[in-house]
Amino acid sequence: MNQGVNGVTAGARDEATDRTQVAPGVAGDRMLKEQVADLIYRSTVLLDREDFQGWLEEFCAPEFRYRITTYSPEIRREQEWLEGGREDLLEMMRMLPMHNTDHSPLTRHVSVYTVDLDGGNAARAVSSVVIYRTMFDGINSHLDSGETRLFAVGKYLDTVRIDGEQPLFLERNLRLDTRRMDKGSHFPL
Amino acid sequence: MSRTAAEWNHKPNPNAIEWVDSRIYTDEAIFEQELEKIWKRVWVLACHESELPKAYDFRTLTVAREPIVICRGEDDRIRAFLNVCPHRANLIVRAPAGSFEKGEPSGNPKRMTCMFHGWQFDMKGNCVEIPRCKQGYQDRLDKKDAGLRELRCEVGYGGFVWITLNDDAVPLAEFIGPALDFMKAELETEPLEVFHYHKAIIDSNYKLWHDTNSEFYHDYMHYHNRVTSMMQPGYFDRKYTAFPNGHCSVGSMEVKYEAYKGFKGRDLSFPGMPLNGWKMVDLFPGYTYNIRGSSLRIDTMTPLGPNKVMIEFRGLGLKKDTPEERLRRIRDHNTIWGPFGRNLHEDLLGITGQGAAMRPGQEPRRVLHGRHEDHTIHDEIGMRHYYAEWQRMTGISPTEPSGVSSLVRTAAE
Repeated sequence: MNQGVNGVTAGARDEATDRTQVAPGVAGDRMLKEQVADLIYRSTVLLDREDFQGWLEEFCAPEFRYRITTYSPEIRREQEWLEGGREDLLEMMRMLPMHNTDHSPLTRHVSVYTVDLDGGNAARAVSSVVIYRTMFDGINSHLDSGETRLFAVGKYLDTVRIDGEQPLFLERNLRLDTRRMDKGSHFPL
Repeated sequence: MSRTAAEWNHKPNPNAIEWVDSRIYTDEAIFEQELEKIWKRVWVLACHESELPKAYDFRTLTVAREPIVICRGEDDRIRAFLNVCPHRANLIVRAPAGSFEKGEPSGNPKRMTCMFHGWQFDMKGNCVEIPRCKQGYQDRLDKKDAGLRELRCEVGYGGFVWITLNDDAVPLAEFIGPALDFMKAELETEPLEVFHYHKAIIDSNYKLWHDTNSEFYHDYMHYHNRVTSMMQPGYFDRKYTAFPNGHCSVGSMEVKYEAYKGFKGRDLSFPGMPLNGWKMVDLFPGYTYNIRGSSLRIDTMTPLGPNKVMIEFRGLGLKKDTPEERLRRIRDHNTIWGPFGRNLHEDLLGITGQGAAMRPGQEPRRVLHGRHEDHTIHDEIGMRHYYAEWQRMTGISPTEPSGVSSLVRTAAE
């Protein structure tokens, strides 16, 4: 029987964290990768719910950094469109009620493509993300409210810490393919 | 108190309070006149020279529905051409930007090639290749008679590439006049470089975006501007200056960015610009130079219809920026002006709402441009000055546009 961390049997659930213990080896790696994918999917539920505080505090390490980047073939340069640490994003969300904003909810469809363990304490994941906006108050709500439109497509490039009690995001780069943002958004995607 | 339909539709005395009829923002016939009488006649800010840094680099765009290609030649000169093959009017260059250095599937390196039949053109617009020319055209057509249509093109005012469809347009310097003089140091001391580009297509009239850029009364919409500027010393002292040809500028102040929680003051600027300074120039018919301390923002517009406009947003710094300086400029720029910035989204929501409330077939609205505050920051002189030039160029009265054919007469009239 494989022994996991802290002497717990591999595959057994740890009472304190309610997480499955992993052991080194193929089975252990597979379990870690599943945990990373689970993190990405669970955190997306909070993003869709606009629970940004929950997303940041529950799933992101204190040193977490977030970026939205893209490449512009028009000016042939890499671009960064949003950047911030966990506290920066928390502050941004706290200030949001002071702003006039399009409140149309965003829905993210995420597919985790790959999770690679780097042999140390981190994993890197690449996920496809397609973001839809269901219209609410951004234009003429009587006519448009309820219609769902494609807003953006891209990839989440995530670095996840895996050596703690639970996986946590260290970095997320939303690499956008979409470059025409029309009204844009006040929300992290 | 609320008003009846007759009271709502009553036309205010324009001598008492200036206004424009909303049909100038919605009418198809007026839009077509604007394309003919304004956009095909003026100088258009096309791109920045840093978008074509090397010989054979190119950029494409559309002006008044005409497809344009801009390229840098072997002689380092930037030229502009109609992006239309003289053979059978195919679009020659399909990409938004790139280089002609390498060959195309249908053509040679260092040439613009129409993929359709392989006609090729050099960077000076000369036709240099017509496949099987003699066999097909005998002596009836020669390459020398098949060059591209070249447009007048000048580079200036911060390294921007300006073009015009009008071969008889006044020189660029006469069109701009002194409007950008007070930004001369910032624009021309050091070469500039584009670091940001994104675009938006909005269901609204292009003039509504320019109106928004031409007045600051809408700072009530921007929490950021209220705390960092409106509540700070010097805000209400900023003055508008009107220039010939419909241009307008507004003077600087020291912005207090740290008044917005989580933001910091700027520690980078442009030559001649104080840290945390802010200058803005609105150029007729639809370009804005906007410098906030560490970044220069340029808005350009491509009207697509009376109720549709593409706005391109560029951010620029100095070409000599270190990587750290450049990153600071980018991040400062994005806090307010990026697609996820605090202000830009609000501005775009504003004109989207105007576009929804002023549509063809709705009753005309009376859009007020009547704030007078001795040309200080909440004065609407910028818009009044713009529409005086607009009337001069189109021959249409902005308060009484009914003379234009195809306007729908409303029951109120």
